[in-house]
Amino acid sequence: MNQDVLDLARLQFALTAGGHFLFVALTLGLVTVVAVLQTRATLSRKPLHARMVRFWGQLYVINYAVGIVTGLVMEFQFGMAWSGLTHEAGNVLGASLAVETIVAFFVESTFLGLWIFGWNRLGRWAHLAAIWIVCLTAYLSAYWILVSNGFLNHPVGYGSENGELVLDDPVAVLTNPSALLAFGHVLAGALLTAGFFMAGVSAYHLFRRTPEWEFFGRSLRIGVFLSAPALMAAAVFGGLQFGVLATFQPMKSAVFSGEAAEIARLQTEMTARFGPGDYVPSEAWTRGGGLVMLIAFALMMYLCFAGVILACFKKVVFRFRLWHLALMAAVPLPYLAMIGGWVFREAGRQPWVVYGLLRTEDAVSDLSPATMRLSLAVFTTVFVLLAVLNAWLLTRHARRGPVESGLGHDERPSGAADGPDPADALPAPRY
Amino acid sequence: METLSIALLAFFAAGWFVLAGADIGTGMLTPWLGRDDRERRLVLASFAPFFLGNEVWLVAAAGVLVGCFPTLEGELLSGQFPVLVALLTGWIVRDAGLWSRGRGPGPRWRAGCDTAVTCGSWTVALSWGWLLAALLTGRPYASATGPTAALTALAVAALFAAHGLGFATLRLTGPPYERARRLVGRTGRPWWSFAFTGVLLAGLPLAAGTALPLAGRTAAPATLALLVPALLAVTPLLVAVQAWTWHAFRHRVTRPSYL
Repeated sequence: MNQDVLDLARLQFALTAGGHFLFVALTLGLVTVVAVLQTRATLSRKPLHARMVRFWGQLYVINYAVGIVTGLVMEFQFGMAWSGLTHEAGNVLGASLAVETIVAFFVESTFLGLWIFGWNRLGRWAHLAAIWIVCLTAYLSAYWILVSNGFLNHPVGYGSENGELVLDDPVAVLTNPSALLAFGHVLAGALLTAGFFMAGVSAYHLFRRTPEWEFFGRSLRIGVFLSAPALMAAAVFGGLQFGVLATFQPMKSAVFSGEAAEIARLQTEMTARFGPGDYVPSEAWTRGGGLVMLIAFALMMYLCFAGVILACFKKVVFRFRLWHLALMAAVPLPYLAMIGGWVFREAGRQPWVVYGLLRTEDAVSDLSPATMRLSLAVFTTVFVLLAVLNAWLLTRHARRGPVESGLGHDERPSGAADGPDPADALPAPRY
Repeated sequence: METLSIALLAFFAAGWFVLAGADIGTGMLTPWLGRDDRERRLVLASFAPFFLGNEVWLVAAAGVLVGCFPTLEGELLSGQFPVLVALLTGWIVRDAGLWSRGRGPGPRWRAGCDTAVTCGSWTVALSWGWLLAALLTGRPYASATGPTAALTALAVAALFAAHGLGFATLRLTGPPYERARRLVGRTGRPWWSFAFTGVLLAGLPLAAGTALPLAGRTAAPATLALLVPALLAVTPLLVAVQAWTWHAFRHRVTRPSYL
């Protein structure tokens, strides 16, 4: 094992996985909103509801499309840079990744293609079914990924044969509390991200007093009324995870609380159990990540409480411009909380890649530092460009509003493509 | 179970070559088939409804590889590290170009995205050639070098392009169709060329697979006993849904799509 290769591979994994995770946060939350909006539009047949599906659906598709390519790197990275992991734990970890790709992701992509390109071709109920399948398979994807991640954080249901881990109790792996609690937490976090995103984008239009007051007044309220319960759910699942942490990963707990005596005691205990080594994770990352998450949570909590009350008054929704500014500024907060929590979870379990079973340094592939450096440079550049592209396209389309939306535009020769789209008919501006 | 795992891997890998080969090949030929902004958008529309569903075949193949052959996956992927960096970069650039083309401003932006699609498609095709060179010469754990690698890469890329050309003759209309048709020639039925390149492309991963020590490198029996039946159960369903997609969008394109 080469120290340079290890550090570079860890940096690459952190940047790519963290980047991918942030795309997923919005995708997972927004797809739920879009599916619910489309259900309402299908039932009510109101143009305003249909336009809301198209506008928020467009932003969802942009974020999904850029996010999906970041996921491709993740899929291959385990084998490329961490072959020790598939070698040691492949019998458990590989299976959940395989099921994720085929049972969840494959179905999700197929139906998303149908949803985007079949907009005016499928019947409206078939089209609605497509987005719900996309939504549910996206959840399923998240579940399987967290089964893999839950196993890394808290291995259960395995046996050992000839120095390799084998699957012993699949039910235990699938119901691993470390996976289930994280799944609930991430799902709530994703809905929170989508809620803040919707509220922020809507606030921009209301602040600028664009003609779409009714559209964004309603969207802002959806965003606010979604964020508040999502924040509570995220907090509950987060609290439950903190609760089990003391038994699953006592060292992470001790480092987060800064209990020097407890850290020293656990270090001695783990040295006795696993042999000499440093079993204390980076204090800066573990505590830093946790604190960033908690601070972002506190800020969001104030905003959510105030928001739920303010959003009940129509005049306030349309005219309280200071609140609009606060909502716009708050769009990054859920992202900060998500990435902070993720850093806390993943940095805090070091030096283990599979907790108590396999050290990170033993999992890295046998690569030359030059190769690893090149790959880190390539992927970092690509990911930064993708993040910039995503932010730019989202801002562009969010600012433009629902008037000229490419998604769902009728391209059929006999359709409305030649004339103005009836769904684009504007309500009269009025404040 | 071992045989079934190999069959699943072969199925998804061959499926990717035949299906995604078509849209990658068409992407490679975009600047030649479409001479202006409108024509190029039509060329992209020929595979727009399919490319997302096509590319997941490779993700699925990688999934079968890591699930059913975890140790082999690690050795193979870390051995082919530089090739995969190139493959993934090409793939990302191509997809980013496709998705953002219709979303950005102005003709310059769209021309830039078209370039990304073309270069990305070529990179993916050439990287696969490079990867296959290592597999076909029986040295799967190190990336191929020298003239063999270069020649295989070019040959495989040419095959992808030919496959894309056949696909274009089946899907396009107007001047881009005329250009494709001229090169394919008018002898025989229109789908012959596509079927022929399809068979060749499907044969590539199968031939490469024989060079891999797949038998004897499968995951532990307990894992396979659960994983393989689960995958076998959902696969027909996936194929049916994709077949339905192809049926729903079977008509030649005359108008641009969302992309």
